[in-house]
Amino acid sequence: MRNIAEIFKREVRHYYTSPIAYVVIVIFTAVFGFLYFRNLTYYSQLSYQLMQNPYYPQRIDLVMAVFAPLFSSNSIIFLLVIPPLSMRLFAEEKKSGTIELMFTYPVKDIQMVLGKWLASLTILLVMLALSVPGVFMAFKFAGSWEWGPVLSGYLGMFLMGVSFLSLGILISALSENQIVALIISYGALLAFWFLGWAIDPNSGKKMADVLTEFSIIQHLDNFIKGVIDTRDVVYYVLFIFTCVFLTARVLESKRWRG
Amino acid sequence: MIKIENVTKMYGPTVAVKDVSFEVEKGEILGFLGPNGAGKTTTMRVITGYFPPTLGNAYIAGHSVLDAPLEVKKRIGYVPETPAMYDDMRVKEYIKYVGALKGVPKTELKERVERIIGTCALESVYTKNIGSLSKGFKQRVVLGQALVNDPPVLILDEPSTGLDPKQIHEIRSLIKSMEGERTIILSTHILPEVSMTCSKVVIINEGVIVAADTTDNIGRSLTESHQVELTVGGDPDRVKETVSGIAGVRNVSNSGNRFVVDSEKDGDLRAEIARKVVEGGFDLLEMRAHSMTLEDVFLKLVTEEEGERQ
Repeated sequence: MRNIAEIFKREVRHYYTSPIAYVVIVIFTAVFGFLYFRNLTYYSQLSYQLMQNPYYPQRIDLVMAVFAPLFSSNSIIFLLVIPPLSMRLFAEEKKSGTIELMFTYPVKDIQMVLGKWLASLTILLVMLALSVPGVFMAFKFAGSWEWGPVLSGYLGMFLMGVSFLSLGILISALSENQIVALIISYGALLAFWFLGWAIDPNSGKKMADVLTEFSIIQHLDNFIKGVIDTRDVVYYVLFIFTCVFLTARVLESKRWRG
Repeated sequence: MIKIENVTKMYGPTVAVKDVSFEVEKGEILGFLGPNGAGKTTTMRVITGYFPPTLGNAYIAGHSVLDAPLEVKKRIGYVPETPAMYDDMRVKEYIKYVGALKGVPKTELKERVERIIGTCALESVYTKNIGSLSKGFKQRVVLGQALVNDPPVLILDEPSTGLDPKQIHEIRSLIKSMEGERTIILSTHILPEVSMTCSKVVIINEGVIVAADTTDNIGRSLTESHQVELTVGGDPDRVKETVSGIAGVRNVSNSGNRFVVDSEKDGDLRAEIARKVVEGGFDLLEMRAHSMTLEDVFLKLVTEEEGERQ
């Protein structure tokens, strides 16, 4: 445990001493904030128009009008800002050679992986946490509202973000070059995203359903709607577990090959 | 303390180290010699648990690098050939970090770091970033990280490369001062370093051990003949003839008035040579026994090996 904690502390500090954390957090907050602001303005305009007409419903659902599209587009923001968080974790150590001494310390591979993984996860949490105050504001000014779907949306975004990170770490362990790790992460994430599109879902082929189930973005939909489905949770948890496990194996195999 | 048993390491089809075995007793300093690319670093990496051997095994204090790598790693301090450290960390922070990873108890950690900063003379730089240090200071930091857990075994891979003569001297005396309390393997291709600091030598070439003995013995036992150097005034050809006539002399070669006399392994012919030269009416200007330096032994072994293979 102590080893994981020490590595975690060092990595978090590194995120802040190198400006990666600041850059990623600022870009994320700015883009997220802008999309949010745009959705909110649109919502208030729409509400105003609806109020003029007694035949329309007096209230439109804040979650469906503002948060569902926001959380949905957030997967694109994550796709862009998360690989830069994960790309350096192992690639940098291998390139600079610091991994040589790490390998001679009494630290297990999995401890090294978990320490780094937790550190990147912390940055993700900070990113998400910084978006919360804005969300509060909306509810303040919308009057009554529903908490549930927003919370489950955040849970979904968190799980998806961690999945992105975990895949990124695996790729970082496979590569010695940060840029290569970054580009491959983009490619791999896009591939997981597009998986569902490979076969037309309306074609009635079983394969279409299977591929859709594999798609990393697909599983966010239910969370956004406020549904926490075991299938989605299991998908993300398994995805994360597999990536972390494989990362430890990659390090081990690197050792054997020398 | 350190035991290497038939270690072979292959990188794909390339054999880097082949069937290497040797032992180092507690408190000894072993010089690990070899030309570049001989397999020194590979052998040391096996000992440190950086990677496992393809065949064979290595033991530190009875713990195998294959079965108990963590136990092995707790007991060693390693200075790699090109020390790469986290450039963004401060010296003190870094040594503390390594200490924690190496399992120094939390309560002792602070005091231990202070002590290392003292031993490695890092007082003037301990708040600086490692990336901004000079090569000499970096080398001391890397030595500091190796010593932070007070390891009984030290593995030093060419610790004096890139240092200035004063720093080399300091590092050597630091190593020498640890003789007896720690078991040290010191790899180098600088031969005087070995004769100055090490009690035992292992010479490796192209992945195979070519000699292993104490530093004193290795010079002696490998010398197949005695050599005497002479400077004699007089006609060189006649001198040569006279000296060649002495029983036990194998070969005489000269350039001008300077002669090199090879004799049988055990015989010391200096007295005999002096008498004959003077009796022959020549002027004996200079004479000295020529003993093989480690450098000669090394070159001889390494070139002999290559000759045999061809």
